[in-house]
Amino acid sequence: MLVQFLLTGLALGSIYGLVALGFAVIYKAERVFNFAQGILMVCGAYLAYTATTQLGLPFPVAVIVIIAAAALLGIVIQFLFIRPLSGQPLLPVIMITIALSIILKALIEILYGVQPKPLATSLPTGVLILGDVRLSQLNLTAAVVSWVCMGVFFAFFRFTKAGLLMRATADSHEAAILSGVNVNRINAGAWAIGTILAVIGGVFLGQIQLASTELEHIGLLALPAVVIGGLQSIPGAIVGGILVGVIEQLASGYISPKARDVFIYIPLLIMLLVRPWGLFGNRELGRV
Amino acid sequence: MTSVSTSRTAMPIDEFAPSAPARQKAAARPLRWLWLAVAAAVLVYLPFVLHDRAILGYRLSNIQLLNVGLAQLNLTLIAVLGAVSLNYLTGCAGLVSIGHAAFFAVGAMAAAATGAQLGLPFLVSLVAALIAGAAAGVLAGLPSLRVRGLYFVLSTMALHFIVVFAFSEYQYAAFDVFGISYPQPAIGPFALDSALKWYFFLLPIVVLCCLACNYSLKHREGRALLAVRDNEQAASSSGIDVRVLRLKAFAFSSAIASLAGALQAYYLTTVSTELYSLNLAISFIAMIIIGGMGSIAGGVVGALVWLLLPSVLTGFAGELGAAGGGLAKIFVEHRPQVVNLIFGSLVAVLLIFAPGGIVGAARKLTKLVRPGAEA
Amino acid sequence: MMALNGTPAADTPLLEVRTLSVAYGRKAVALNAVNLTVPKAGVVALLGANGAGKTTLIRTVSGLIRLHNGAITGGEVLLEGKSIAGLSADRIVRLGMGQVPEGRLVFKNLTVEENLQVGGAILPRATLAERLDAVYDLFPRLAERKDQAAGLMSGGEQQMLALGRALAASPRVLLIDELSLGLAPLIVGAIYQQLKKIREHFGTALLIVEQNARLALGICDYAYVLERGEIVLAGPAELVAASERMHESYLGARAERQAAAG
Ligand SMILES: Nc1ncnc2c1ncn2[C@@H]1O[C@H](COP(=O)(O)OP(=O)(O)OP(=O)(O)O)[C@@H](O)[C@H]1O
Ligand SMILES: [Mg+2]
Repeated sequence: MLVQFLLTGLALGSIYGLVALGFAVIYKAERVFNFAQGILMVCGAYLAYTATTQLGLPFPVAVIVIIAAAALLGIVIQFLFIRPLSGQPLLPVIMITIALSIILKALIEILYGVQPKPLATSLPTGVLILGDVRLSQLNLTAAVVSWVCMGVFFAFFRFTKAGLLMRATADSHEAAILSGVNVNRINAGAWAIGTILAVIGGVFLGQIQLASTELEHIGLLALPAVVIGGLQSIPGAIVGGILVGVIEQLASGYISPKARDVFIYIPLLIMLLVRPWGLFGNRELGRV
Repeated sequence: MTSVSTSRTAMPIDEFAPSAPARQKAAARPLRWLWLAVAAAVLVYLPFVLHDRAILGYRLSNIQLLNVGLAQLNLTLIAVLGAVSLNYLTGCAGLVSIGHAAFFAVGAMAAAATGAQLGLPFLVSLVAALIAGAAAGVLAGLPSLRVRGLYFVLSTMALHFIVVFAFSEYQYAAFDVFGISYPQPAIGPFALDSALKWYFFLLPIVVLCCLACNYSLKHREGRALLAVRDNEQAASSSGIDVRVLRLKAFAFSSAIASLAGALQAYYLTTVSTELYSLNLAISFIAMIIIGGMGSIAGGVVGALVWLLLPSVLTGFAGELGAAGGGLAKIFVEHRPQVVNLIFGSLVAVLLIFAPGGIVGAARKLTKLVRPGAEA
Repeated sequence: MMALNGTPAADTPLLEVRTLSVAYGRKAVALNAVNLTVPKAGVVALLGANGAGKTTLIRTVSGLIRLHNGAITGGEVLLEGKSIAGLSADRIVRLGMGQVPEGRLVFKNLTVEENLQVGGAILPRATLAERLDAVYDLFPRLAERKDQAAGLMSGGEQQMLALGRALAASPRVLLIDELSLGLAPLIVGAIYQQLKKIREHFGTALLIVEQNARLALGICDYAYVLERGEIVLAGPAELVAASERMHESYLGARAERQAAAG
């Protein structure tokens, strides 16, 4: 059983890690603590529903459409909601992301109705049986895709000029401006990336469960994941996500599904009190 | 984006001489009493209007009453307690809390243990809720001694989930899946068995709590809190023990929220764990943003808008429904979603264009119309 | 304003500030009708005590003033005769105005090499490599530390890096704010030596803000003195250095007299 829980936790945790990574990218770029990350993930599930079921696009085309739509969504959000508040204190910025999540959720429920929708993507759905461990192919694919995305993401940041400029802007807005960087564009780019990562996670979670706004709660687990890992740390977000996935599986498996949240939020609280900068964060940078 | 302070500037802490506007206010006092009397008369007469659906014997249609009922007004009064206490904390002390729904849950639990399980009188269980709320508030405020800003927000969110879990364990252990049922509340021989009686029970509590918050803000401690909010270093170096003050503010605010939670539980007669969702906590933050952060009036206005606007909209959509606009149809089919859409957009628009909320915008307007006048 | 004889080169100046006034918030006036000119490939010093408004002037010229809640209330900033007052700071940088800000502001989590790459990001890829080599030639210390995180370097090295980063973009005019702040005299001397070379090698015009007047007057052709937001003295370096006023307040005559009296 333990191995089963650990493996499932690892797979789901990889998805959370992906969503959390998107969250961290947005946070690092603009210091925006995005409470809408959960609903952005839900948008992914519904985008997949529209692309595959409603439009009937072939899967590879659907993937491209979903990613393009996600990038556009991120850019529009940054332009409409975040840019007008740039330079404002913490609370208004947090609140506008909450307002954003209320708006998106309402829009989704108006457009698609409140009934959950099953996804019909061509992701594999079989089961691998290794000894007495059952591993769903979907979970496995999710984990693999998440890791590939993370790899692509790292390569982007490490080796491309846009990635370098993003890291520079995250480091110091003012110095970036003084280097001729258009930080608005960079921030919009960060939102595009953050949204894409959330949306990819949403496609998988929507396929594993159903496309429904209830998934938002799972997406919100990105928050504790990021903080446990270290707000300023990209690897921290991923490790935090995996940790949250594993804890979730163990807590729901051995205790009860209701206990899930406590077993994630109690470690968060302890972490906040003992090591607010997180597992991987930097002590000085972590002071918020 | 790391500091929590709003745009108000620091008030000098140890300066007690009445300022020029204060003297002006004294001159305007008779007028102020008149306004107060009118407001009191309206507050006392309003429930009868809503109850009889008539004003001075003249019958009003539902839409003339904005589709608002007395029960809604009572729930609004309870929400005012929540919003005002959160505004006291968030707007005035610079502490952001996503855990306000948790204090409602604490109050409901305290009332359940004392009122429903032990069978103690209603008022006793309210006092128990107050005490439990204050204690929980101190606990919830403890992280503020170590972490600030965003991390503190997150610690309140963690507390929310922990309390909600405790509530559901308690509910399932001591009651059943349907929730906790509360006995008929009564004060001595008088049973609170109608919306009208509830209204006259709640109204003085709400007024009292607002006055208490206002008093605390205007006097020594409140001023010190404002100083803490605006500049912690300055406040610490002027000899104020920031930490104790902050914990006190937390205890005070959560005691009121907990009281509100107990009242809400009694009023609804049955509550279950689903009520205390993160959405409830968020709705309180939304209320103070809509009303305006940093003032008691902001909390009141925000709660009014949040609780009454939906039914007002429903009323108008119902009126329009006959005329059959497509919009009205969408509204009827997706009422909660459209309401949320409107609220979400309202919050966003206010944050961008009027960070002071409705109250702040109104103050600006009165200043424009009557320069020199303090709203 | 007291004008000493001699004006900077006659044809269209590279950078010109005309009757510029700037305020922070509603009231706090930081600059009042300031005139200042930087000729092509010229080195101009802007001197003044703490709070005189030197940084404010630099920020206004570079378009960063809005980021600091300040606003232009009058006057003009011209780069080669074209007004740049309303442009965004990053546009202004791309037009050829480099800046080494007060307090250095290097990208602490990026390596030295990456810092320079970001600095030169506005250049085409082909010219960038060449330009970085030139910067490394000027500051061999940076070449030695290529792969070190900038935040882990000493103050002097960070200052070199900030200078190198600004130079990487091949600016036509470079604004330098208080290079000497918090650094040991030896290092400051070394960096000032390199400043001289910058003009020789790259033909970059410099506007140097300094509290240490002696230092700045040593390398500039022309100097302005700012007091409480107004230019009180302007002229060629030698004349400014020789002026009574300068001696009184900035070159330590008063201090010497006080020492003698005490
Ligand atoms: N962001 C700001 N908001 C409000 N006032 C400011 C701001 N920055 C500077 N000031 C004020 O403007 C005036 C000029 O400041 P400035 O920083 O330009 O001086 P400075 O000459 O660079 O001084 P220093 O040598 O200390 O760096 C000062 O009175 C300062 O208090
Ligand atoms: Mg300065």
